[in-house]
Amino acid sequence: MTQTKLIAIGIVALLAIVTMLSAFYSVDEREKVIVVRFGQILRHDDMPGLHIKTPFIDDARYFDSRILTMDADPQPFLTREKKYVIVDSFVKWRVLDARQYYLTVGGQETEARRRLEQVVNSGLRDEFGKRDVQSVISTERGKIMQVLTEYADREARRFGIHVLDVRLQRVDLPDEVSQSVFQRMKAERSRIANELRAQGEEAAEKIRANAERQREVLLADAYRQAERIRGEGDGRATTVYAESFGRYPEFFAYYRSLNAYKESFKNKDDIMIVDPSSDFFKYMKKPAR
Amino acid sequence: MAWNVPGGSGGDKDPWGQRRKPGQAPDLDQIVRNIQQRLSGLFGGRRGGGGGARGFGIGLILLVIVGVWLLSGIYIVQQGERGVVLRFGEKHRVTDAGLRWHFPYPIEWVEKVNVEKVSTIEIGYRSNPRTGGRSKVPKEALMLTEDENIIDVEFAVQYKIKDAGDFLFNVRDPEVTIAAATESAVRESVGKSTLDFALTEGREQLAQNARELLQQILDRYESGIDILAVETQRAQPPDEVKPAFDDAVKAREDEQRLKNEAEAYANDVIPRARGAAARLIQEAEGYKASVIARAEGDARRFTQIATEYVKAPAVTRERLYIETMEQVLSNSTKVFVDQKTGNLLYLPIDRLAPRGDGATAAMPTPPTSEADSGAAGRDAAAARGRADARRRGGG
Repeated sequence: MTQTKLIAIGIVALLAIVTMLSAFYSVDEREKVIVVRFGQILRHDDMPGLHIKTPFIDDARYFDSRILTMDADPQPFLTREKKYVIVDSFVKWRVLDARQYYLTVGGQETEARRRLEQVVNSGLRDEFGKRDVQSVISTERGKIMQVLTEYADREARRFGIHVLDVRLQRVDLPDEVSQSVFQRMKAERSRIANELRAQGEEAAEKIRANAERQREVLLADAYRQAERIRGEGDGRATTVYAESFGRYPEFFAYYRSLNAYKESFKNKDDIMIVDPSSDFFKYMKKPAR
Repeated sequence: MAWNVPGGSGGDKDPWGQRRKPGQAPDLDQIVRNIQQRLSGLFGGRRGGGGGARGFGIGLILLVIVGVWLLSGIYIVQQGERGVVLRFGEKHRVTDAGLRWHFPYPIEWVEKVNVEKVSTIEIGYRSNPRTGGRSKVPKEALMLTEDENIIDVEFAVQYKIKDAGDFLFNVRDPEVTIAAATESAVRESVGKSTLDFALTEGREQLAQNARELLQQILDRYESGIDILAVETQRAQPPDEVKPAFDDAVKAREDEQRLKNEAEAYANDVIPRARGAAARLIQEAEGYKASVIARAEGDARRFTQIATEYVKAPAVTRERLYIETMEQVLSNSTKVFVDQKTGNLLYLPIDRLAPRGDGATAAMPTPPTSEADSGAAGRDAAAARGRADARRRGGG
């Protein structure tokens, strides 16, 4: 065994290994593959696993077979009432037909995304142009997505692409419009606030007035009752007096008057201007006869 | 390698990102080069030496290499993980936790997915687990409601992987997909409700709707993801209008406060009035009792005197008169004026100044219609005074 022999054997073995490796290709669960010989597509849509090809002249090219995302930049669209809304959408798509995909967009994802974007944009423009703001935000949102998905799917089949979903991620108003929305919201709230406060005042006023009414009624009722009671007392007293005084009317006048004098003049501040010739002083002038 | 580490900073978690660029063949070239190097190491490094021994040596080295290669197929699946084994890229089997073996690369390889871990995606805010702080993301949080108002909402989505195979093979960038789908679902469900509903009782409802929508979307993609919960972290009016909203809330409280104050006033006034009313009545009752008692007392006294008087009228009259005058004159200031000589009457003014009730300058003859003793009239309550005046006026 000479060295040259050894080297020769080595080289042959190497060539054999390289050839063997080039004769196989494997397909992952995540990919689709086409086998190209001199620019011609021999096979496509192989199942995942190990496959055999002619070494060196056949070339296996791989594409991602998972669901991919085309996330468009937010863009303004006009609604039916000629208002702008800013729409941020994304498209979920996957390679359906690797051969078609390879032929039309050269298996380039960026190219595929560009095409999808064109399709979806024109679809969005149409759908939004047909509807007013409220329906694109609220009622028709799901409908728009459904229509767009079907439309984009139809269009994308030409590129061997299946569109699973076109979704509106965000539908917003432009900034300056948002500002006016805020203004409106503020105005609405302050209207509500004023209303509430006024209602509070109203209720409070009613409660106060009611309380005052009750007070007046209570006092007046009490006055009525009190006067009635006093009257009863006075009445009874009068009866009692009349009964006892009525028996001695002449003496009563005399006695009562004397009492009244006593009651009226019992204060040192009372000044009496006395005429000494009065009956009371008769003995002061001339003692008893 | 750890594959599924969602919720991070969106780093490179795709194993392909480390082994190959997407859309290219598995890196067989690298393997080939490795083998070539090894072989050239085996063969090229030899110069002379014994053939047999060398052959045995080469065989031994090859054996060791094969052994090491076979051992490289041992892998461990942790608790809560699933190992997905690919044979030449085809999904071959899914293994549970434990010590496992697969045919070594490039025949088979394994990818592990954690199917127990619950991950979170945040919409409208980002919380920082290290500092515990949270920062707003207004672009995500501000959205339109059905009545064309703008609301500020924050959601947290919790999900886990329910099918390792689907998760690995069906969707590229699953986290990005979940985030975008969540936003889409949340905005759709918020767009279907009014602002007031979303701010108040609708919060749970919205999150529930969003969850259902989101699960539908992800199932349509066969993403292998299970949405456990969508939680409304916060639903509030945007910062620009928050003061106005707060004021409306305050106004509601003000309304209540005004009512309460009025109630308090009423609760103060009415019992007081009831008290005053009770006082009036009690006073009247007191007056009635006292007036009757006085009358009876006076009448009794009078009757007693009168019966005695009848027995000796003249003497009694005289006596009573003198006693009375005695009392009257002894208790008051007297000014004697002799009418026969008095042509000029001088009275000290200061002594004649009025001194309140009962100050009189002459013999009084008060018109008493009521049989009321003089003292009773002076310390009566105001109400009574009114009544008396009215009675006097009316009588």
